[in-house]
Amino acid sequence: MEISVSGAKIYYKIPIFGGIPITETLVNTWIVMAIIVGLCIWLTRGLKVHATSKKQIVAEFLVETANNFVCGNMGEKFKGYVPFIASLFVLSMVSNLISLTGMYSPTADLSTELAWALLVFVLITYTKIKTNGPLGYLKGYTQPIAVLTPFNIISEIATPISMAFRHFGNIVSGSVITTLVYAALAALSHALLGWLPQAINNIPLFQVGLPAFLSVYFDLFSGCLQAFIFTMLTMMYISSAAE
Amino acid sequence: MNQELVSIEVWTVIAQWCNLLILFLLIKKFLFKPVQNILNKRQAEIDTLYSSANEANKTAQELKENYETHLKQAKEEAVEIIASANQKAQKQSEDIVREAHEQASNITAKANVEIEQERKKALNEIKDEISDIAINIASKVVEKEISAKDHERLIEEFINNVGDAV
Repeated sequence: MEISVSGAKIYYKIPIFGGIPITETLVNTWIVMAIIVGLCIWLTRGLKVHATSKKQIVAEFLVETANNFVCGNMGEKFKGYVPFIASLFVLSMVSNLISLTGMYSPTADLSTELAWALLVFVLITYTKIKTNGPLGYLKGYTQPIAVLTPFNIISEIATPISMAFRHFGNIVSGSVITTLVYAALAALSHALLGWLPQAINNIPLFQVGLPAFLSVYFDLFSGCLQAFIFTMLTMMYISSAAE
Repeated sequence: MNQELVSIEVWTVIAQWCNLLILFLLIKKFLFKPVQNILNKRQAEIDTLYSSANEANKTAQELKENYETHLKQAKEEAVEIIASANQKAQKQSEDIVREAHEQASNITAKANVEIEQERKKALNEIKDEISDIAINIASKVVEKEISAKDHERLIEEFINNVGDAV
């Protein structure tokens, strides 16, 4: 029995620059974005100064929570980062959770996490340069002694890579394990019920139940956790870059 | 056709980068801006309410002080008025009593004078009458010759006796 776990489907290649692929990752990301933005628009429709609707209370709660969370972890001066951190968190979380519906999770594509991590890397570098000036930024690589410069450079580059791979690895390992468990349970069903007529032994009896629990862990728990960790690391790196 | 499980596609990276930035802008525009706007408005309203409440409180305090001062003044005035009225009344009553006394003493004095006059008048009349009667009685009863000189002396004696008796 062959089991293969593969990446995103490529729907179409735009025939310029050697072919720009429109993959499942992109399409699902757009769906996720549409869901998030639609939710935002729905939540903030008909806002009043004297809140009367539950919708508005939820919207205000979300914004206040994001504000408190970011200000609590990064300090008041990073208030401008709140929408960015919030969108990073919610994009990551909904992308992870979308796999619950059986759709391909955009975060199961390394390119997605790499893009996010690179953006975070840019923000870290920008904050560092803004805080210490360009020369101070470069001088930071020779701290505490000049010999450590290569290691400092490696650690700087390692930051986005480790962030990207941590998130990617967690999501993909989940889907790999789920696939393997499915395959194993299918094999078990086949082995135990193979003597029955075709119509009955095709029923994937053992695939009912156990994968659901695995899904709760890998998709729901791990999905939320990884989104949280990714945003938390982003905040920590950016705020420590300002020191 | 599928991608490899672990693969980096540059175009996807760029697209996802843009997607995150676009989502950031959209979330900012559709969630954070409106909600923050409302929160700011509410804060402004609360601030206005607080400041107006403070203002009202201050005004009330001022008014209260004002009223208290006025009340105190009014009380003082009332006390003053009552005191002066009392004084006036006292004085008036004293005047009235004094006047009454004066009048009474005047009347008494006048009455005394009148009484004295009346008495004297009556006394004189009585004296005349008595002397007449005495002469008549004497001339009738005695019927004897009395010299004019004795006559005169007798009358005098009689009158004096009568005067002493009165």
